[in-house]
Amino acid sequence: MTMLDSRTAQAGTLESMDCLVTVTGPADGRVIEISGSSAPRFKISMERRVNDVLDSLGCDSGVRVAVQDNGALDIVLGARVEAAFVRYREGDVR
Amino acid sequence: MRRTMLYLPGSNPNMLLRGHLFEPDGLVIDLEDSVSAGEKDSARVLVREVLRRGEFGACEVTVRINSTDTEYWRKDVEVVVSCGVSGLRVPKVESPQTVKDMDEEISRAEEKSGIPRGSTKLFCLLESALGVWNAYDIAKSSPRVTAIIPGGEDLAADLRTSRSKEGAELEWIRRMIIVAARAAGVDALDTVFPYVNDDEGLERETGFVKQLGYDGKSVVHPNQIAVVHSVFDPTERETAAAKRIVDAASDAEARGLGAVSLDGRMIDAPVIRRARFTLMRAGLLSDGQRG
Repeated sequence: MTMLDSRTAQAGTLESMDCLVTVTGPADGRVIEISGSSAPRFKISMERRVNDVLDSLGCDSGVRVAVQDNGALDIVLGARVEAAFVRYREGDVR
Repeated sequence: MRRTMLYLPGSNPNMLLRGHLFEPDGLVIDLEDSVSAGEKDSARVLVREVLRRGEFGACEVTVRINSTDTEYWRKDVEVVVSCGVSGLRVPKVESPQTVKDMDEEISRAEEKSGIPRGSTKLFCLLESALGVWNAYDIAKSSPRVTAIIPGGEDLAADLRTSRSKEGAELEWIRRMIIVAARAAGVDALDTVFPYVNDDEGLERETGFVKQLGYDGKSVVHPNQIAVVHSVFDPTERETAAAKRIVDAASDAEARGLGAVSLDGRMIDAPVIRRARFTLMRAGLLSDGQRG
């Protein structure tokens, strides 16, 4: 891949109980960034959830996943990561 | 009971996770009009996860999928049915063929997911003059069909009129649908009352459809639930009277008497049936006991 192949895809919102997930690639390995209201307390479990979802989707290339959280439960975080990563993989850049 | 079925936008986690806390009888998780074309994919993923792992209290859980004239509906069926929902609310049903197509797709999804065939019910939205005209045939076209529902806004447009608070444009539509529903043995559920700050108007419209015989009403805001329930719930006096009738009928049956009398008056079968229905509405009889 060249720099020209770099792309970004997003899913979710910054509304209450939601999160905005941005997937950018290619990256040097898997990079996960968590920010927002729940980050200080739940960063580790949120990172684990992001990793689980990416693994279940067969993500084996380097990507950067940024989560801006506004109180999203585990269910919502997983759904937003899945939607963003599938959009990224399918070239559905928005 | 289906007194109230609350619409929840399929792209809104806050509402999806909290909707049941307002205690409607049912939830209608929406993948259609409240979700923009660009968000259909992410809403479907979110709804799937919420259906699989969320909590819904005692609510009957249904999902309004996209209509069969869109590219989304087959994927909606596949994903939603695999989660084991009670039913699908299907927009723009115009003929038995629409139900047949849906039935086949649902059967495939049920088989693939190991769900007993026929367990996913259909709530058919009749949103055109043709759909309403075919209401009875639609309701009889599959054992999956459990309710028919007028779709207010689309119907008004198809009839070349507009929605009004008085509801003149839907008056005969509602009458046609209740007759078709009762003839076919399915529920009649009413469309939404879109003016969320007009409780008096909601109460008036709900009273009208209850008097026609409707089983319940779709709602778009949690604040509408209590208003609709208060109209559909029997009063204490109605409940007490119904209980006396049902007790008298049970007593007569136990004693092997063919006729039932109460306070010196004979009570016939339709009165007993109506009394049982009142007790069911009051939560004192289950749906299966109403006879």
